[in-house]
Amino acid sequence: MEEQEKVSQQVRKLQGLLEQVWPEVRRRHLFPEIPMPRFESNPSPVAMEMRNKQIILNLEYVKTMSSILPAATVLEALLDHGISHYTCCPWDLSTHLKFYARAKQILEEGDLARKATDLFMDIVADTHAVKERQSSLPLLYKSGARTGFEEIICSLYQRIWGVDLGCPREDGTVKRLATIPYLDKRRWMASLSRFIRGIRPLLEEADSPVPNEHTRMGKHGFQQYAPEEIEQALRHFALEAESPGQFADVVEDLQTQLEEVNQDVDEGMGHGAGSPVDANRLYYMKLAENYALPLRKKNMKGSGHLHPHSHRPWEVCQPFQDLDPWCSFGKYLPGITQIWQRREGQIYGKKEKTPNCLVIIDSSGSMIDPRTHLSYAVLGGGCAADSYLRHDAEVAVYNFSDAPAGGSEYLPFTRSRSLIYQVLCRYFGGGTALDLDEVTGVAEASEADIFLITDMQITNLDQTISRFSSLHNRVTAVHVGKKSGALRFIKASVKNENISVFGVNSSNDIPLIVLGSARTYLAQE
Amino acid sequence: MFNPFEDFKDFLSKAKGLPLDQLAAAHDQVIGELARGYGKLVEQELKSLVWFVEHNRVIEAYKTATEVIQGIDYDAHSIEDFCYVLDSGTGIPYLISGPAGIYVAALCNHTSDDQIVLRLGDMQRTLHFLGYRLPYGKSLRIEGDAGNFTGSALQGGEINVTGSTGDWTGAGMTDGKITIHQHCGRNTGEWMQGGEIWVGSRIRGLGRMTAGRIYQSGEPVAGDVLR
Repeated sequence: MEEQEKVSQQVRKLQGLLEQVWPEVRRRHLFPEIPMPRFESNPSPVAMEMRNKQIILNLEYVKTMSSILPAATVLEALLDHGISHYTCCPWDLSTHLKFYARAKQILEEGDLARKATDLFMDIVADTHAVKERQSSLPLLYKSGARTGFEEIICSLYQRIWGVDLGCPREDGTVKRLATIPYLDKRRWMASLSRFIRGIRPLLEEADSPVPNEHTRMGKHGFQQYAPEEIEQALRHFALEAESPGQFADVVEDLQTQLEEVNQDVDEGMGHGAGSPVDANRLYYMKLAENYALPLRKKNMKGSGHLHPHSHRPWEVCQPFQDLDPWCSFGKYLPGITQIWQRREGQIYGKKEKTPNCLVIIDSSGSMIDPRTHLSYAVLGGGCAADSYLRHDAEVAVYNFSDAPAGGSEYLPFTRSRSLIYQVLCRYFGGGTALDLDEVTGVAEASEADIFLITDMQITNLDQTISRFSSLHNRVTAVHVGKKSGALRFIKASVKNENISVFGVNSSNDIPLIVLGSARTYLAQE
Repeated sequence: MFNPFEDFKDFLSKAKGLPLDQLAAAHDQVIGELARGYGKLVEQELKSLVWFVEHNRVIEAYKTATEVIQGIDYDAHSIEDFCYVLDSGTGIPYLISGPAGIYVAALCNHTSDDQIVLRLGDMQRTLHFLGYRLPYGKSLRIEGDAGNFTGSALQGGEINVTGSTGDWTGAGMTDGKITIHQHCGRNTGEWMQGGEIWVGSRIRGLGRMTAGRIYQSGEPVAGDVLR
């Protein structure tokens, strides 16, 4: 009982000290926008972690270190380290992902890459805190028990900070690592490569002294980032990744952590429980978010307004806001009460509306496999689909290769972004023939726009051109690469005002596409 | 009038000078000097606009490389870092594999370290002539692949390549040992006058040897042992 009282008194004291120390530390770091830190008990030797930008200090570690150093010094040092990660390195998830991708490229193993990245970020953050923020981290590193790996890092700190941390060992590895310009942000990627080359033998040793918790500062997972940051970081990383394969490689490694943050990356909305992610699909979803294609609306038969049309009996499972009490004999009973059924007005309104869109994408053998290289066809199709979805329209996808032989997949009109991309990313790699009856049947049944993206090496290209010319739907045809079939399509469609042709040879051409434009644009050759 | 910056009146943010700044600057200076030396070599070698492998040209290039690196205080780690600077193209806009490899070989031969490790696995391009004229008492370990003429004119040193090499491996070597863990190209051991070449996997073609021994997967395939 007395023991418990003592412990809770100690905890209260530490909490009070934290409340005193935090404003001063925050001031030294120029008032970063992060919440007040808190304590948590954890039996592991890790000193702290960060979750959703909040620093969580390990109470057990602080108590242990308080017996060696003043508690205020321990708290200041830990907070300096945590805040430096937020204000200096890695700063954001985008940088963190770039580090990890580079490390994975060199080390070819996810676990090693994670360790190397964490170590590098720790060194940069600590050195920044010591140099720029008068941190008491050297005192913390000088005290307490050290793992074998921490001895090496402390030797490095001893050399680069010019302070005595009580480390006798200074070998060739430390001398090599000491020449890296950790604080030069412009050279971080090159510095990381040099760091990994220097530390690689230690990481790869069979009996490496690097445990999972390799230093007292713990691992750096994704829990320190907000879901919105993760969204943005994935978007940037998709732009900067060298290939879909590299993006998929990194995302698959970190999938578990993404799920832990409850990131519903499928819909890209940052809500809902996590689910296994198709990294390739995610790559194109995030990449397409960087482009916004202009979309021209058109006058359509529906006015777009819903008006009460007729009655039908109300059932309990139906919403009650459209109940009509005047026609319900004053009673609210299932089967007797009447509910309004609303229909879209059939007036030919002056208001323009966005039609739905049918995306026809070619995934024959002549097209790039979207899993291995960046496919402009998939990217263009994704950008078009996103544009229509943003305007509250629905999108259908028809992915074809040799359609008459069964090489096609059709997704009916939907607003599910995940399903749309799933079908877009499908790659058949077979012949190239379009099932015109199927495609034009869908187009004629609705007033949907048609977005066709292909390299124009279609077996039945002439029939395709003539069939599209006879349609009243607006057709946006995008040809990928320079092929002779594109010229035939362009010449045939010059007279048709409802067909616009664009060419895409690089990602810079994608924003030039105007969806549903009324005039024909000659593609760039 | 209320001054909103009143709270910061006493705030002093003085950045501390760390030894890291000097260490990093010193290293950058060394790399800069190495890069300038390489520039001088290339300038000399490309006077005729084309660089091709010819015995006298290689000897001249090595001699020039040896002259330009005199006075530069570098170590084995700097050589590896320099290779990556060459590969990245930052500061050095051209990497010509032949002269670059000869320059690196000269650096290896004249460093004070006897054991040199070059982790070149992440380079986009391979360098030729690595280990050229490596003298007795020095060992060179290359982690990754090496280009053509690896270990040519070896003079007693030991070369260990964890990846593969190109053609003309060990050409003209007089003594020493070359170990290649994977495969090597054509004309392996051409003009060889002594020493050993150990190849872990495939040899695409053997050259005409005067003396020496070549082993493939531990078995002798050419040289004195077969006579």
